[in-house]
Amino acid sequence: MAQVFDRSSNALARFSLVLTGLIVIALGVALDQLQRSPWVTRQGQRPDQPVPFSHKHHVEGLGLQCQYCHTQVEKAAYAGIPPTKTCINCHAQIWTNANLLEPVRQSWATGASIQWIRVHDLPDYVYFNHDIHVNKGIGCASCHGRVDQMPLMYQQNTLQMEWCLNCHRNPAVNLRPTSEIYNMAWTGPSSDKPVWCSSTVKGGATAQNVVCTTKDPNASGPEVAMVEGAASGAAVPNVDGAPAAPLVMPATYVKFTSQIELGKYLTAQYHIRTPNELSSCETCHR
Amino acid sequence: MAEMKSEATQPVVVTQIAKAKLTLAEVQAKLTGKTGRRFWKNLDELAETEEFHELMREEFPRQAGANEWVDAVSRRGFLKVMGASLALAGLAGCTKQPDEPIFPYVKQPEDLVLGKPMYFATAFPFPTGAVPVLVKSDAFRPIKVDGNPEHPMSLGKSDALTQATLLDLYDPDRSQHVVYRGENSTWEAFQQAFTAAAKQTLGGQGIYFLSETITSPTLAEQWKQVQAAYPQAKLVQWEPVNRDSARAASKAAFGSYVDAQYKLDEADVILSLDADFLGGIAHPGFLPLAAAYAERHRYEEGKPMNRLYVVESMPTVTGFKAEHRLALKPSEIAAFAQALVAGTAPAGATDEQKKYFAALSADLKKSAGKAVVIPGEQASPAVHAAAYALNEALGAVGKTVVYTDTVVPMPSEQLADLKSLVAEMNAGKVQWLVVLGNNPNYSAPADLEFPTAFAKVPVTVHLGTHVDETGSVATWHINKAHYLESWTDARAYDGTISIVQPMIDPLYGGKQAHDVLQTLLANPQGSAYEAVQATARGYIQGDFAAGWRKALHDGWVEGTTFAPKSVGAPKAAGLAAPAGGGIEISFRPDPSLYDGRFANVGWLQELPKQVTNLSWDNAALMSLNTMAKLGVEENDKAELELTGRKVVVPVLVAPGHPDDVITVHLGFGRGAEAGRVGAGVGFNAYTLRTTTAVLSGADAKLTKLSGTYDLCVTKVHNIEHRGAFAQHDLNQPLSDANGTYSLAGHEAMERGIIRYATLEEVKKNPDFAHEGASGSLVNKVGYGVEGETPKKDESFFPDAWNYEKTDPSSLKIQNAWGMAIDLNSCIGCNACIVSCYAENNIPVVGREQVKVGRNMQWLRIDTYFEGDLHAPRAHFQPMACQHCENAGCEQVCPVGATVHTPEGINTMVYNRCVGTRYCSNNCPYKVRRFNFLLYSDYETESLKFMRNPDVSVRSRGVMEKCSYCVQRVEAAKIQADKENREVRDGDVVTACQQACPTSAITFGNINDKASKVAKRKAEERDYPVLADLNFRPRTTYTAGVINPNPELA
Repeated sequence: MAQVFDRSSNALARFSLVLTGLIVIALGVALDQLQRSPWVTRQGQRPDQPVPFSHKHHVEGLGLQCQYCHTQVEKAAYAGIPPTKTCINCHAQIWTNANLLEPVRQSWATGASIQWIRVHDLPDYVYFNHDIHVNKGIGCASCHGRVDQMPLMYQQNTLQMEWCLNCHRNPAVNLRPTSEIYNMAWTGPSSDKPVWCSSTVKGGATAQNVVCTTKDPNASGPEVAMVEGAASGAAVPNVDGAPAAPLVMPATYVKFTSQIELGKYLTAQYHIRTPNELSSCETCHR
Repeated sequence: MAEMKSEATQPVVVTQIAKAKLTLAEVQAKLTGKTGRRFWKNLDELAETEEFHELMREEFPRQAGANEWVDAVSRRGFLKVMGASLALAGLAGCTKQPDEPIFPYVKQPEDLVLGKPMYFATAFPFPTGAVPVLVKSDAFRPIKVDGNPEHPMSLGKSDALTQATLLDLYDPDRSQHVVYRGENSTWEAFQQAFTAAAKQTLGGQGIYFLSETITSPTLAEQWKQVQAAYPQAKLVQWEPVNRDSARAASKAAFGSYVDAQYKLDEADVILSLDADFLGGIAHPGFLPLAAAYAERHRYEEGKPMNRLYVVESMPTVTGFKAEHRLALKPSEIAAFAQALVAGTAPAGATDEQKKYFAALSADLKKSAGKAVVIPGEQASPAVHAAAYALNEALGAVGKTVVYTDTVVPMPSEQLADLKSLVAEMNAGKVQWLVVLGNNPNYSAPADLEFPTAFAKVPVTVHLGTHVDETGSVATWHINKAHYLESWTDARAYDGTISIVQPMIDPLYGGKQAHDVLQTLLANPQGSAYEAVQATARGYIQGDFAAGWRKALHDGWVEGTTFAPKSVGAPKAAGLAAPAGGGIEISFRPDPSLYDGRFANVGWLQELPKQVTNLSWDNAALMSLNTMAKLGVEENDKAELELTGRKVVVPVLVAPGHPDDVITVHLGFGRGAEAGRVGAGVGFNAYTLRTTTAVLSGADAKLTKLSGTYDLCVTKVHNIEHRGAFAQHDLNQPLSDANGTYSLAGHEAMERGIIRYATLEEVKKNPDFAHEGASGSLVNKVGYGVEGETPKKDESFFPDAWNYEKTDPSSLKIQNAWGMAIDLNSCIGCNACIVSCYAENNIPVVGREQVKVGRNMQWLRIDTYFEGDLHAPRAHFQPMACQHCENAGCEQVCPVGATVHTPEGINTMVYNRCVGTRYCSNNCPYKVRRFNFLLYSDYETESLKFMRNPDVSVRSRGVMEKCSYCVQRVEAAKIQADKENREVRDGDVVTACQQACPTSAITFGNINDKASKVAKRKAEERDYPVLADLNFRPRTTYTAGVINPNPELA
């Protein structure tokens, strides 16, 4: 009886073994890529919002500051989605009849919320806290991207754990002076655009710890004049009315020409916890 | 196969292993002649029964053999579920989260910062006095009820019932509508009907109110106005658990109703006559009494310690905290008290009792002026009268006890009033009966036949939070607002008035008693808010607007504290002691459910009861001798009979219970009306209670029925969970030279879980907690020397975790969180457990699951009994995750789901947990809890409001345990980091610590040597539990010190 399988089928069998292996590997790679893909992470997706709100127009065009709407970003875990009232503050005066704003007027008239779709949506077991990031020198743009250039809001980064840990393991790469938190265009120091920083040698909140400037403080300039004026000892009343201690003149400015140098300096000045602590589970999961 | 089918008709959850019970005779025989300092937890274990050994063998023994999956339905269901899970498993990583909507405010409240909780002061009006509280509110949803730290009386302390009122607010079974003859109606319709009817009466004739105890001065004021408008209308206050004894005695002794306030900070010797003043707010003034008792009971060199004597019937935590406890029948307690007044030992006393009596009288006399006698609310009027006389004779009045006006505005003797009301109902005089808040159809004395009389009234109205036994048969039912939704006012124990302000709009538009009474007044639409403001103008001094704001902010009104009242010497009251004889029965409010009002609060139902650790049930509690006499065993079904009324009860032993008395707890046996949690739990003891036997009765009968009941006692769970780990010890009872071996005893004594000494001993040897804990076990395999922590260099990894690293930028040593629990202060009141429930979103698992050892409380209170079975001493030990530095759980987790944080917290990463339960296996403290099923309720809308947003809600298949309230630690760290400072001592307060009425728990940074916790840990009496295992627990305990009377030693 003739053999059922021809000799050539040996090669076929071997090939199919290899092929199976390849398919398994390909599947693995595909799944791995899939779970990192924008389809899953929603990176870059622009969901249909009730109002096609343009950050670009409001921030870049009109120059609104982030905190005009996201009022509690320095105070609480949530940055805060503005209430309808915030929209109406202006839109009771301008664009009062625009069709696009119908949902806003509707909400204002009926008292029902505008139902937005969350763009930056972390899993429920992640306890992200805006205020500590903002207070410790992480700018809005570090996570949210150039919101001022987004006509429609989308998620710039993956928001996956590996992305969080990239920074938690080495925060220096993203730290910036707290005065530049809301500066969307901040790129960090470079040899063309150095940054000068100095410790104020005074206690208090992180934001008051360091003074940074992008202009050479050794050359006379308006900013330096301000610092000198404050240093002369005139007591400037604080926000809460109590007379503030006279500002101490920064001792010496240090010049930074790279982000890493600046990041290391700020890590020390802002008392950023160690990577070991920052990447410990309980930091984000409870 | 046939068997399979019959089983298949309903899914079977196996709730017990087959037990061949050891008979009582055998227990007795085993224990005869064994004395000495021995510790035990439950009877089986003490007697070393076979079943107990069986329990030891398995981690979760009662589901041995996975019988749950053997029956056909469950197995098929399991496969189906598993199939679905497998199919999903591959996709889980790739599924997208669904779109999540955001609903921003339209107008955001000005001072609201979302994500930052706000705190509002209010008070929980309770018949024994308001409990001042501070409510944590997340976006105006109350999510935690804690004590108000600014209140002069409570100083931020809390208790189990008040903590649990949160779940009561969000109870999904609360009544949501006004109901008229079974149909939904409206409040306006009721108001119309009520005013119209009232106007047609002759000055309100035929209109009767039956109210729960009125606690609000405003409500009393409104009632006055109603009476002015309708002089013939009548109001009766009645609650099943009331203060009639105190009222009757006070009337007889002083001619008026007064309340007694005890100043335990001044008392060297305290005698409690059946007063469970450390048990909870069922006793008036629990918070200040417990705090002052614990403060004076704290051992400190040179500070005089108090001494507590307790003469009681049902063993309570107060009794077990006492240096000397005497168990007497309810009838004997009155005789004993009267004998103390007379100065001669009671007739028919045993030698032991005589000795106790002599020592006690001598001690009281010796400390005259610094002694106090506290009578229990559920003791007879004779006991109260005797206490008045004793306090007078001891010169206590004005020093350790002061008399004041009553906390409630309209004190009355409630039972007598109820009796006359029922008589008038039966006589047809009552046209409208308006029941305000209580549930007499369930709880009224059985011989009054209240439901029958109720049915005779033409129109009945029920204001209640649930459509309960009364509400379901009333003509009108009005859904009542919870106190967290209400405006009212109430007085605390010391007389301070608190304004009760709403935390949230009534969830279901509920109404209050204020609204019902207002309906009859000139302005029927007037709100409770206006009514309270009107009365407040009377008691807020100075500028009203400012005073009102201050009262709301502080939670109390300045200048309203009672001044002591001079009442003169008490007249000899001539109140007779209650009749004894035969088997006596004693009715007690349940330590968890009180009179049944908390029946639908799952936290309280599942809470292991004080002393007995019974969960989800009540039982006929009695002593071993009584059980032998009646021929019943623990867990037997029996019929309890009192004056011809019968109820079926399970039997449970209560260590230290007097003989020939059966104690039953009220508040159980509710019908379907109680709601999904409370329906059908336990038996209804009210069916035995008559007007002649309200507190106790004589000549009860108990007949054994066939079958068993299988009560759910959590006491042994932690022991049985130890599995093979404990087996090792059991097989090598090296120390059992005297035949007094018991596992708990072995652990408590020889491994030094419980360490304590008398005042004499501690003076001689302040380091007693570290000496001789385990003399006989030196060098035994698995034990370090004398049960102490091994030295670091004995470890293979001496520097595995170094917790003294310095921060490079600040040069400060890092935080190391730790806890110290003072066993001298712990009174076993359970407040911490309920607080933990609320803070950490702990699910309620239900009766069947608790029975198989799956209760989820992160914290338990272990009760170790010591000595004589009939008169044991007990030690309470709160036990939660010890956050070991060298934790066994972490070493065996295959997926790194339980890991150590740099600051030394043993943390759970729920998302990594795959549910192998190795960690629980390897935990010697048995403090890990596993979600065997989907226990967390993800469906019920109202419960979602309640959850703490800072803590994950755990799903099925996940291990969980005490986290040291890591969410609070992180919040404190974030705040400190923002302000560029160290976390200060006191910034982090754990939920259990916050609730503790006696400040037994201290938490903080042990690397900060100035912190409270570091100081406590530096004390000589500080010791870790099971230290010899080298797990290096971060939680340590302060050994107890007791102050016994040398004459009774």
